Amino acid sequence: MSAATHVKGSPRNPGEASDFVGIVVDHSALKVNQTGIVATVLVAFAGSALFRPLLVLIPLLAIVLLVGTFAPQFALFKQLYFKALKPRGIVKPRSVQDRPEPHNFAQGLGGVFLVVASIFLIPVPFLGLAIALLVAVLAFVNLAFGYCLGCQIFYQLERRGVLKPSTRSSETTETS
Amino acid sequence: MSAQLWALAVAGAVVLAAAGLETFRSRWARRFATGATAAPAAEPYILYFTGDSCTVCKTHQEPALARLTGVRIDKVDAVEERTLADRFHVYTLPTTVVMASDGRALHVNYGYAPAPKLERQLAEARGGALRTAATA
Repeated sequence: MSAATHVKGSPRNPGEASDFVGIVVDHSALKVNQTGIVATVLVAFAGSALFRPLLVLIPLLAIVLLVGTFAPQFALFKQLYFKALKPRGIVKPRSVQDRPEPHNFAQGLGGVFLVVASIFLIPVPFLGLAIALLVAVLAFVNLAFGYCLGCQIFYQLERRGVLKPSTRSSETTETS
Repeated sequence: MSAQLWALAVAGAVVLAAAGLETFRSRWARRFATGATAAPAAEPYILYFTGDSCTVCKTHQEPALARLTGVRIDKVDAVEERTLADRFHVYTLPTTVVMASDGRALHVNYGYAPAPKLERQLAEARGGALRTAATA
């Protein structure tokens, strides 16, 4: 019986694992990405108090996130993980059956907000910094607690039909 | 330096406002969802709303559910089973609903619900069922 066709609201199987058959996502790469975002924003935020040109890190981070969203092979922090941290055993891989789309969407959303922050940095610096800080706070919340606001927005958009739900393989079955 | 302080104040205010809004939204949704009905069963059970875009479901909620023993868990894809999700005002994933054996929602948890919390809610649901049986 598939997750989509079971009798709605009826009791089914006892404690079970995920029945979503999907692609495996290395969550360590996501964590490294989130750490990179938090660290960069914090350096730009604190450093700019002493050396104002450090604010340039915010538009640079926006570019890194947006490029990484559309071309994952150029995602700077993830590549740092795959090319340096993982092979050297500094960060251990943590593969979870998951979809990459919500995470990419969240990253892209972070990039867009950093673009907005960058636009405000020259005329209204405190507003630009505040927006960048909010991006860092959300990245930290995801890093520390696993709560991904971008993924929740992705779910809401899917639910409202703005984004097309992914098609699942027909062998998606319950596990008992 | 003042730009940094103002930025901290603005970001802090936004975070606090968002937390307040989330609390209000969660209470509002829980108020309307509690008492909604689904299929009755012999024992209290859990309706578990999830979706394949929900990472916390896989990394936190499912291990917590797996720790519960002897409980029936009805896994529902909130995107595909939209009518059922709307009935329980599911606005975030995961959402877990502890259902009484008569099919009434007793507890609605928006967001990750740890195993001890679910066990406590299930014990309450079982207690309620026993009281009903004793007075019948």
